[in-house]
Amino acid sequence: MSKGVLVDMTKCFGCGACTVACKLWNEKKYDEVNKPTLGDKAQLVDINWTVVSKHDVTDTSGQAAWRFAKKQCLHCVDPACASSCLVGALRKTPEGPVVYHPDLCVGCRYCMVACPFNIPKYEWDKSFPKVSKCQMCSSRVAVGEQPACIAVCPNQVMTFGDRDQLVQEAHKRIEGNQQLYVNHVFGETEVGGTAWLYLSDQPFNRLGFKTAVPQESLPAFTWQILSKLPMILVGWTAILSGLYFFNKRRNAIAEGKQDSTGGPQS
Amino acid sequence: MNTKSTIDPQCSRRFFLKGLGTAGMAGALATLSGCKDAGKPIGGEGWTPQQYNAPGSWPVQVRGRVPIDPNNPSIVRDDRKCILCGQCAEACERVQSVEGFYELPIKDDITCVNCGQCALWCPTGAISERDDIEKVLKVISDTKLHVIVQTAPATRIAIGEEFGMPAGSIVEGKMVAALKQLGFDRVFDTNFSADLTIMEEGTELVSRIKAAGGGQAQGDHGHIPTALPQFTSCSPGWVKFCEYFYPDLLENMSTCKSPQQMLGSVAKSYYAKKKSIDPKQIVSVAIMPCTAKKYEAARGEMNSAGAAAGTPELRDVDFVLTTRELARMIKGKGIDLAKLEPQPYDSLMGEGTGAAVIFAATGGVMEAAIRSGYFLLTGQNPPDALLNLTAVRGLQGVKEASLNVPGVGELRVAVASGLGNARQLLDQIRADKQAGRPPRYHFIEFMACPGGCISGGGQPKTSVPPSDWVRQERMKSIYAIDAKLYKKRLSHENKEVMDLYADYLGKPNGEMAHKLLHTTYTDRSAHLTAKTKA
Repeated sequence: MSKGVLVDMTKCFGCGACTVACKLWNEKKYDEVNKPTLGDKAQLVDINWTVVSKHDVTDTSGQAAWRFAKKQCLHCVDPACASSCLVGALRKTPEGPVVYHPDLCVGCRYCMVACPFNIPKYEWDKSFPKVSKCQMCSSRVAVGEQPACIAVCPNQVMTFGDRDQLVQEAHKRIEGNQQLYVNHVFGETEVGGTAWLYLSDQPFNRLGFKTAVPQESLPAFTWQILSKLPMILVGWTAILSGLYFFNKRRNAIAEGKQDSTGGPQS
Repeated sequence: MNTKSTIDPQCSRRFFLKGLGTAGMAGALATLSGCKDAGKPIGGEGWTPQQYNAPGSWPVQVRGRVPIDPNNPSIVRDDRKCILCGQCAEACERVQSVEGFYELPIKDDITCVNCGQCALWCPTGAISERDDIEKVLKVISDTKLHVIVQTAPATRIAIGEEFGMPAGSIVEGKMVAALKQLGFDRVFDTNFSADLTIMEEGTELVSRIKAAGGGQAQGDHGHIPTALPQFTSCSPGWVKFCEYFYPDLLENMSTCKSPQQMLGSVAKSYYAKKKSIDPKQIVSVAIMPCTAKKYEAARGEMNSAGAAAGTPELRDVDFVLTTRELARMIKGKGIDLAKLEPQPYDSLMGEGTGAAVIFAATGGVMEAAIRSGYFLLTGQNPPDALLNLTAVRGLQGVKEASLNVPGVGELRVAVASGLGNARQLLDQIRADKQAGRPPRYHFIEFMACPGGCISGGGQPKTSVPPSDWVRQERMKSIYAIDAKLYKKRLSHENKEVMDLYADYLGKPNGEMAHKLLHTTYTDRSAHLTAKTKA
């Protein structure tokens, strides 16, 4: 039931409607000079929850071409940010979005270190800064509406739906046009899978995607040890306690102060 | 001496430490209890337009916006003002048939013909023309430069609207007065070069018709155009559209430049020579109802005067301001256009006829060309009926007319305004050509903007979205100027144009004319994969 989004980057012509919709829905400011949302200098930043970056590539017929790639939080299936958060401010919701609760945040920024795609941004300019990233319009998704960026796209670059079904849809599209698409769905297995999936006619690293990430989820690495900790804690406590009582009894007997009945010396 | 205090401490050390510990635990518990309620997640406090707020992932009909290349010389967009109403996409796709008429993925170009209709339709003005006012003010203030300005036919019946006057108010003289007050050294009229265009284009049409009839095509230089029908070439948005989507029909495009560019090259050659001014000191500004003219002035090949003189870096037209920009400039100087006393244009390039002024309306170029074409073909001035050619007037998207020219035969013409309407004719012509059928028209006037230049991308936004009632008012005024205000109604009677030929150019389509007043086109079809339907 977890929702996802399939993004077909061959259909994007860089109009930027999605970036405007995000700014409108989340009331974010603009800074076109230093923090552009569109073009080759577009960067995710505290006020930019989504950007469309422009890339000069060569298309399948060998001609120079422009490709536009929409970047935002990928809403991982097993997010490293949520796992690293000390206080549970970042959580994966059952509907799919990874949401951030500012009331709980203590500003440690472990999430920024943990994210393999370097997504969470920080409000460096503020006195009481919060972490900032795409929320996948969690309040819209909760009432069955599609995220703002998807609704406004003129070319229907993005498809919103059940994540598992979208993975199948993605492969169907690749099969239906093998001449065009690179045979890979970005986000299908990267870091254990992300809710946002991408199709492209270009290698993903040429469109600014970080492809050198593990194919297993990052929390899974530490989970191997963390999951055993309670057992270790209880077990080790039991062993040490046992040893303590055993030795105490043995010492007491060795000193002969008490006989085995434990009563006072007559 | 007492070593022991006589007062007992009210709070023992143990008691104090116990208190601290309890307070600490209470505080920790209070803090941690807040963890149960996570509070509101960030985001989602804003809005999106109503059409996007519905359950489900249904595609919304009017959605998104047009892509705009940040290097587009004609239009810019301020995202702060964009409300995602989708009107720009509507205009571009449904009216102009540009967006959506190419396959995705794109190549290395954002397909845009610079027509500016999106700017006219944008309710908030997020999309507007690129502002060149500062650059023009700078050259005006430079006393070493001779700054000339030309005004398009369509500006004189629209700029008054920016000063509260009714739609279509004729403010030609006031506009000239305002331009003089702004500090331009000479104020010329694009009507002059519109008449010049008619001379060149009419001669070219006669040549093509004769060639089609088996005669010799006239024209001494470069390629000799022979294909019929001949397309008008004064609308740069239309020219770019043809270069993108119908490059196979570029041979039909008249080789004549637009009036704007003709005046530009004449200014830096003939005018400079006549007035003994160094062309490098001349800065040529144009006031246009058009955003595509900014693109046209920057086209690589638009440097004929400079190229002919060995200074190819000299542009024929240096800056183009839209009607809206001129209005802002005038307002910025605190000038009230409505209160100015009318002034005349300056001579050498200031005389215009009624045939020239009707260029502003769809069908006007055609009618002007017919008036002089009749003369060129028969040696006689046209009868009065051809001075009110209602068949080519009006806001209908595609118009046809057929007239009998004595001694020549039937002249079949068509007029299209709005690129969606242009497609209808172009598809027919392409099909005719591929099937080897004879051309069904001799001459077609194409205008990118619905209604013609009167409703161009740079005109005052007197109604948003642009409406027919404003177009009608402006058109009425244009034809009134032709019928009632101007003394001459035939391009071939323009004395300044006659002097230009006599003193400098020689004859229409001659060598000098070809060098300065004619141009070439670029096949742009490699930059997109054209589609016939969105």
